[in-house]
Amino acid sequence: MTAVQESGQARIGRERRPRRVDRWFDPRGLAPGQLAFVLHRITGLGLVFYLFLHLGVLSLLARGPEAWDRFIAVAKTSPVLALDVVLIFGLLFHGLNGLRLTLVSLNLGVRKQAALFWGATVLAAAGTAVAGWMIFRMGG
Amino acid sequence: MTMSERRARSKGGQAFWWQVISGVLLVVLATIHMVANHFVVPGGLRTYADVVSYIGTPAIFVLETLFLVVVTSHALLGVRAIILDLSPSDRAARRLDRFLVLLGLAAIVYATTLMIRVGW
Repeated sequence: MTAVQESGQARIGRERRPRRVDRWFDPRGLAPGQLAFVLHRITGLGLVFYLFLHLGVLSLLARGPEAWDRFIAVAKTSPVLALDVVLIFGLLFHGLNGLRLTLVSLNLGVRKQAALFWGATVLAAAGTAVAGWMIFRMGG
Repeated sequence: MTMSERRARSKGGQAFWWQVISGVLLVVLATIHMVANHFVVPGGLRTYADVVSYIGTPAIFVLETLFLVVVTSHALLGVRAIILDLSPSDRAARRLDRFLVLLGLAAIVYATTLMIRVGW
């Protein structure tokens, strides 16, 4: 599947047969464009889950300083900080791959879309390593 | 092509382009949000007093509200695109649209009210 087909499918997805979601988790034989499509959707769903979780947690602010500051103490424990690092990778990958998709949708860099995907992945991994180091240094 | 098919295709096109525009906006807004709330804050997270002072700043309130609207619409349009790829019936697709609009509005009203209550 090329990137142009990928973005075209996003536009008129309802005209196609249902996609088997379980195949998202089987990376065997996937071309970079397909892998990017699958990872973009998995990170997107993870970020939607996080968005609503985050909005729910913010309700603690309405309960006053004790409730919020108690939550902050939990949020600074190592397991939660590790989840923050996973979140950062999701944000960086989804954002950078989203920019790649935007370029391809505008017919820019279509022939280099595979290289752009690997570039976005490497940048996301590097950004996550730096952010992870900062998160544990500040919060740990 | 029937009228309803044409309307659905035009709606899908608008959703696609808003997804692209909001995505580009989010690269900027999410970066500002993450840096301002985590990476320049001593300890990495704001205390209650810090949050009140941060949200109480008018420019920050506007920026965070804009971020909220853009991120919520981008997220729910993404969910819509994934569900539509599973080829639901037209009736189910219309119900899905209504549900996602209501969910998005509820999330935006809830979080904006919370910011006003806490910061003002």
